[in-house]
Amino acid sequence: MISGDHFPVGLEETVWWQWLSHARLTPEREAIIHWEAGEPPFRWRWGDLISTAEKFAHGLYINGVRPGEVCALIIRHHRNFYPVYMGVCGLGALPAVLAYPNTRLHPEKFRAGLEGMSRSSGLDWVLTERELEPVVRPLVTQSGSTIRGLQFPLEWSAEILASGASQLGTDRRFPTTCLLQHSSGTTGLQKAVALSHQAVLEHIRRYGKSIGINQEDKIVSWLPFYHDMGLIAAFYLALTHGVPLVQLDAFEWVAAPVMLLETISFERGTLCWLPNFAYHHMADRIHQEDLEKVRLDSMRMFINCSEMVRAESHDRFLQRFQFLGLKREALAACYAMAETTFAVTQTPPETAAQVISVNREELARGRAQLETTPEKARLCVSSGAPISGCEIRVVAESAEDLTEHCVGEIAVRSVSLFEGYRNNPEKTAEVFRHGWFLTGDYGFVHGGECFVVGRKKDLIIVAGKNLYPEDIEDIVSRVDGVLAGRVVAVGVDDPATGTEQVWVIAEADLNGDHQKAKTQRAIVEAVMQIDVTVGRVFLMPPRWLIKSSAGKPSRKLNRDRALTELLPVRKNDV
Amino acid sequence: MISDRLRQVILKELQLDDFPLAEETTANQVPGWDSLSHVRIICAVEKEFNIRFKSLEVLRLSNVGQLQDLVDKKIGKSVA
Repeated sequence: MISGDHFPVGLEETVWWQWLSHARLTPEREAIIHWEAGEPPFRWRWGDLISTAEKFAHGLYINGVRPGEVCALIIRHHRNFYPVYMGVCGLGALPAVLAYPNTRLHPEKFRAGLEGMSRSSGLDWVLTERELEPVVRPLVTQSGSTIRGLQFPLEWSAEILASGASQLGTDRRFPTTCLLQHSSGTTGLQKAVALSHQAVLEHIRRYGKSIGINQEDKIVSWLPFYHDMGLIAAFYLALTHGVPLVQLDAFEWVAAPVMLLETISFERGTLCWLPNFAYHHMADRIHQEDLEKVRLDSMRMFINCSEMVRAESHDRFLQRFQFLGLKREALAACYAMAETTFAVTQTPPETAAQVISVNREELARGRAQLETTPEKARLCVSSGAPISGCEIRVVAESAEDLTEHCVGEIAVRSVSLFEGYRNNPEKTAEVFRHGWFLTGDYGFVHGGECFVVGRKKDLIIVAGKNLYPEDIEDIVSRVDGVLAGRVVAVGVDDPATGTEQVWVIAEADLNGDHQKAKTQRAIVEAVMQIDVTVGRVFLMPPRWLIKSSAGKPSRKLNRDRALTELLPVRKNDV
Repeated sequence: MISDRLRQVILKELQLDDFPLAEETTANQVPGWDSLSHVRIICAVEKEFNIRFKSLEVLRLSNVGQLQDLVDKKIGKSVA
């Protein structure tokens, strides 16, 4: 077991009081700098930000929202998103940021997902944009819905927002719970994690200490706020410590990745969290001539998190951008999850994440043995040591502790651990064992640092986004020609992009290449409806898929079989 | 009208044998054309036509017809 130290947060503290104190002490200091392509950045100062948040809190109050009620925010990149979110907090209601549906996502699928979240989280209000009203309104009116109404705060008039903030008073009471975070998914499989003010504040302070956050820092991020890395590492960390957050739009960044580097350079950013694929995306897709005026020497840490950290990704990123002043020691890594508020481990500042070379075959057998022959080696990147208040153990299937260098499931105990999935005691019971949270990730400890090397659970992670195979299999099962229930969706490493690719392996009773090609296309198009891109479709004859002992097709065994038997690419693969 | 050359670049990048790409076709209608593959397609188009797009130009594209217009403009072809 390895652990960090402790320091407590007062029970009466809330994030709102913390933000308020920044507004009182440093009203002119920049809080959030909102970037949009082609527009001058909008700079929120603490005084204006909090007074606008108070107005939104008042608007919510006169529209019926009360402390303790859950407000889902489904709003795109907009400069008023921040005071709306903070207004929800200021009122003592519970914010839950949900992803605004991509145009690829079928409205029915989006509605089904929202309905699932409504059931699990008890959503009371949806704060969104008018464009989404036709899709969401039916959920409000249907019988048994927990959703009491829709609100469109970005449209609120000056009268609604004017003056009334003082009515809320300074002695308002806050519930213990601070916010809700949801896992992704579309068929009601989403789990809601409720975090208390105390857990969030404890975490922010301890995590801030682990990266040496200070008043000279400036966080630059394109990460969406429905993701824990965007919400906690960028938004809450910046605002609670009172350091500026520079926020870009995720969609704009993906389409024009140079925007992040331009913004870092212009704003003199110092901290940035990124999922692994982003390192490849920027190294591969940014033109040299677009970098003429860019400097990266202000950056203290690029923190790689939320996907498997790959040594090659760091190397490519460094080789590509070192000439801009990027330092190797700025390449950091973190292991995090919503259930622990965010970080479990973190590599220290001014030190590149440690990379060790282990024997690939021994690793597959569950032992991390150092290896010097490159052909036999797999490079593993450290995610650092546990942050203060956090402990990790590596455990075997039998629950016994494993020694250093043995691969097992990572279990976590933390002062900022969640108490359980909201309204889901069964799932909660599955993931807790004697107060330890079983992460479902495989890893080992070496020299007091944690190395994450795989996953026990079947979750697929593409570009930092979690996908449930069940969601994909459910859709594919309904495609004409596919044998219902005889489908597996799995994630397969894609070294070229630094993330995973979704593979679908389905049994189908089909004749001829034409019919096969048609069915493959239909599968890709069907899965598009839940905004998932399928990398490969393998249509196999009946009884090809290997069943698990429970009688269902095994994802792991069929993934391994596909990797062994179906590569190189077959003629009719997509 | 979408030129055969542009169509081929897009389909090749998406590993599609065929797909009816029209001026009004948007990325979300085409199998495999998501935000990540979008950047791949843009890079492939730049390479094929030996042109460079600016970030803002890329962000303002909303359908294949606009991409065709932008390509035509860059290679000096008049846009109707």
